[in-house]
Amino acid sequence: MRVGIPRGLFYHYYYPLWKTFFQDLGAEVVTSASTNRRTVERGIESAVDEVCFPIKVYYGHVRELCHQELNYIFIPRLVSVEPKSYICPNFMGLPDMINSALPELPPVIDITVDVSKNDRLLKRDIIRVGQIFTDNKNHIKQAYQHGQDELHKCRNICRDGYNISEAIRIWDGEQIVLPSTYNINIGVLGHGYSLYDQTISMNLIDRLRKMGCRVQVVETLDRDAIEVKAAEIPKRVFWTLGRKSVGSALYMEGQSEIDGIIYLACFGCGPDSMIGEIIERKIKNKAFMMINIDEHTGEAGMVTRLEAFCDMLRRRAGKVEDYISAHG
Amino acid sequence: MVDGYLGVDIGSVSTNLVLIDNGCHLIEKIYLRTQGNPIKAVIEGFAALVETGSKEGVTIKGVGTTGSGRYLSAVLLGADVIKNEITAHAVAAAHLYPDVKTIIEIGGQDSKIIILKNGIVNDFAMNTVCAAGTGSFLDQQASRLNIDIKDFGRRAALSQQAVRIAGRCGVFAESDMIHKQQMGYPMEDIIMGLCESLVRNYLNNVGKGKKIEGPVVFQGGVAANAGLRRAFEKILGMSVKVPQHYDVMGAIGVAMLAMEKMQWSRAITQFRGDAFILKGSFKTSSHECQGCPNICEVVCIKRDREVLAYWGDRCKKWENSLSEKTHAV
Repeated sequence: MRVGIPRGLFYHYYYPLWKTFFQDLGAEVVTSASTNRRTVERGIESAVDEVCFPIKVYYGHVRELCHQELNYIFIPRLVSVEPKSYICPNFMGLPDMINSALPELPPVIDITVDVSKNDRLLKRDIIRVGQIFTDNKNHIKQAYQHGQDELHKCRNICRDGYNISEAIRIWDGEQIVLPSTYNINIGVLGHGYSLYDQTISMNLIDRLRKMGCRVQVVETLDRDAIEVKAAEIPKRVFWTLGRKSVGSALYMEGQSEIDGIIYLACFGCGPDSMIGEIIERKIKNKAFMMINIDEHTGEAGMVTRLEAFCDMLRRRAGKVEDYISAHG
Repeated sequence: MVDGYLGVDIGSVSTNLVLIDNGCHLIEKIYLRTQGNPIKAVIEGFAALVETGSKEGVTIKGVGTTGSGRYLSAVLLGADVIKNEITAHAVAAAHLYPDVKTIIEIGGQDSKIIILKNGIVNDFAMNTVCAAGTGSFLDQQASRLNIDIKDFGRRAALSQQAVRIAGRCGVFAESDMIHKQQMGYPMEDIIMGLCESLVRNYLNNVGKGKKIEGPVVFQGGVAANAGLRRAFEKILGMSVKVPQHYDVMGAIGVAMLAMEKMQWSRAITQFRGDAFILKGSFKTSSHECQGCPNICEVVCIKRDREVLAYWGDRCKKWENSLSEKTHAV
């Protein structure tokens, strides 16, 4: 049996879990290619207008998989991945949105992940999904547990300075070498499925690295420290990713080795319009810049802003520029 | 012979060239319209610079480029420094006014605010997705009203009582202006109203959350508009300085950065020389690379038959093919 997993949205957070689970149950896992122009074009063509850019791109990934003779396509319905916190409501309707837009869609596996109150529902749904492949409930539980273990392993890779998406690529067998020379440290925040997708974010993180920056992201920081900082906000942020961003920004503000913070916001994202604003107002003692992205491919505006930001941090710190390259 | 440094700022609307000596004094400045063809503008600008004769007796020791066309002009001229506009503008303004705290820069397509602390950029912001309130919008309104853009400031200065115009969005501003004009308000008051609405929009959008402290310097092509300067002074409640060479500050800044780098590194300039720039025929072409599903639009710049540069390819296949070739030679 062939199961397709679109390389978009929460792929960037959970792929090791999903892949291990389906493989252990005897399925062959197929993914779409990394986001490219064709993915984007196809996505914009079929998506409804009011969703955010990364969701539009997800449609493109799904469409790519539609023609690969799959038995199933995996489109999870993510409601909540931790107690009392939620994922953006668009994700709740994702399988339905896709289903109504793409008639050529293979049968969908749409597991509901909602652990806001407890994990009873999730456990039941894991069994339901597993029974597509086997009747052995123990086998299904083991596969899920194995998936969790692999995910945990993958997350540990982030300690070496990789973001979760890079950690997934490393987990999947790729080699990624981070540049070892840098003279400024920048914290970069945003929704992972935008920020870590090289096409959606216009390669923001690698651009910064090429400009001589070390990049810190949510995953390279201490999880508990982020939560402590996030709790300083008078009203608890109930979006999982938003809360982590706020907590990380506040945590980074207190770290002397961080020179500046960049927040990548998506133009059509509801939570971003809130979270970006909160961070911008809370960060008082560090350089902060918000970058907005959408469907446009013009990179000039982003390059100018990043260059100017790095120049500013270097000149502020009195660091003489290394005149290796004229570009930058 | 005197040592000189060339600074070039290619914006969406104007292309500026300056030549400075090693005391940062301006020897010559050229300001012309880009008119959608940056290559032609740079070559014409350079030809004009040679024509003025001010280049005679000057050895060019360094070249810097800035503005949205900075990579393109760098290839044409052989630049030693390629810098973003923010840094370039800040360097020039801080040299001229060492105590400057706020720089307002409004160009053709974007507007910026730069906050300085002890002469160093401490914070900045640029307009986001909307170009309302920048030079091109003013240009467009001037031509709609059939007024020469150069007269815009003078006409605004005649106004006694500015009318209120919505500045949030260029489309709303325009319909507001038409409405006021059909109601019979004098043209001067409408123009001044537009200036004030642009300033409010700038402060709400670009200057949002920034503490604007004096001395304030207003530069960029739009600073020519006395009406806008007056509107800034009225709304900010403080005096706003417009430098003598407000229109070429970016070019001056990047020329200074080229000087800083060349004097620091003692390197020899990459400058290609007059003959290279003026005698060749430069062409750009673009094609879609079919190498992978990214389908990058690759731009190629040629001088006669020689390929000078490629860009636009994400995998750098084209860009690197060139450097391999040059290394082989």
